Amino acid sequence: MISKKTAAILTAIGLLLLPNAAAAHGVELSYETVQGIEITARYDSGEPMAGGQVTVYAPDNPADPWLTGTCDDAGKFFFTPDPEQPGWWEVQVRLAGHGDLIRIETGAGGGPAADGTGFTTLQKLVMVLAVAWGLAGTALFFSRRKS
Amino acid sequence: MKPAKFCAAALVMLLSIMLVAGCAGSRDGANGEENGAAGETGTLVFTANGEEFAREGFLTKDGWEITFDHAYVTLSNITAYQTDPPYDVDQGWEINYEVKVELPGTYTVDLSDPGADPAVVAEETAAPAGKYNALSWNLVRAADGPAAGSVLLLAGRAARGEEEIEFVIRLNEEVAYLGGEYIGDQRKGLLTAGGSAELEMTFHFDHLFGDGTEDENDPLNLDALGFDPLAALAVDGKVEVNTAALRESLDSENFELLQAIMIHLAHVGEGHCLARFLE
Repeated sequence: MISKKTAAILTAIGLLLLPNAAAAHGVELSYETVQGIEITARYDSGEPMAGGQVTVYAPDNPADPWLTGTCDDAGKFFFTPDPEQPGWWEVQVRLAGHGDLIRIETGAGGGPAADGTGFTTLQKLVMVLAVAWGLAGTALFFSRRKS
Repeated sequence: MKPAKFCAAALVMLLSIMLVAGCAGSRDGANGEENGAAGETGTLVFTANGEEFAREGFLTKDGWEITFDHAYVTLSNITAYQTDPPYDVDQGWEINYEVKVELPGTYTVDLSDPGADPAVVAEETAAPAGKYNALSWNLVRAADGPAAGSVLLLAGRAARGEEEIEFVIRLNEEVAYLGGEYIGDQRKGLLTAGGSAELEMTFHFDHLFGDGTEDENDPLNLDALGFDPLAALAVDGKVEVNTAALRESLDSENFELLQAIMIHLAHVGEGHCLARFLE
């Protein structure tokens, strides 16, 4: 026979354990902000290509699919390109004998390329410095004293 | 620093700009690497495909079971392109290319052949390596052979219930097609040095007759001729017509529909083509 005191202690321990037991069946949500690309696929009529079969090809291997998926009811598909593979990503969407392909350029870090120049940030920085130095040199040349 | 030395240093920096810019340019050249260095070649295989519709037959939108004995297409001026940026049909007929491979000659192929999956038209064994992402060709009248005088000859049988009709349809008007990159369940046109790559001229015969397995209100079926208008021309269970006869026999609405279908008949895989009649 368990004493009242022992029963109270066991009940207290049980109550302490109960939230942990419940947590084992809980849901944990987290989020991470990522850069990504959203594709919208529509027929010429403007109707969304709901269920369109999507194939993504990475810049480093245009022959084999990097990712496959399906458009949602609005004809949309989201993916995050591998930041280690800057360059031209190709996305093909097909459904019932119709399809098209789009190319998207990403820069270092996986985001869309900032512009269409094809220059990296380092290259741009070197050019800015060089132009500044060139301007200063030109100014000094014309302002030099005649000996 | 003296001005003269400063100017010399500035000149060095200016040269470095050109060097850096040159390096950036070679990223497009990375495309060039993908395209293969100058002189590297491979085999480009030109194919034509009528898909299962041509090889195995199908149910038309108006309930006819169609099978083909022959589905001849006659092709010429077949040309493959490497384009960067990639050609898109929205650009129209003007195509800017870096590499062009023209296949000389005229070829008639039977797309109903069970082995035509796809049918090999011809090969170019010394094509520059790279990514071929545009293709053009003409559908022309065959000079001789079983399809002489036709750009497209469809011969076969249509059955619905107790009724069976034998047909020979000869279409005679020449059409030019220009499409972009192959769209399908595999990539085509990626030619590596010493390797081989396929390019495909695809013909969608369900655009002509419709597809009875799809909803009757599916845009494909709404824009298809079906077989009923041709069955109405049968004499003693046989329809034998050419474009001129169809122009006279079909009502104007159906004949215009047939003309529009010829424009939309050819694809590159599932990618649409620009098309125009040549006469």
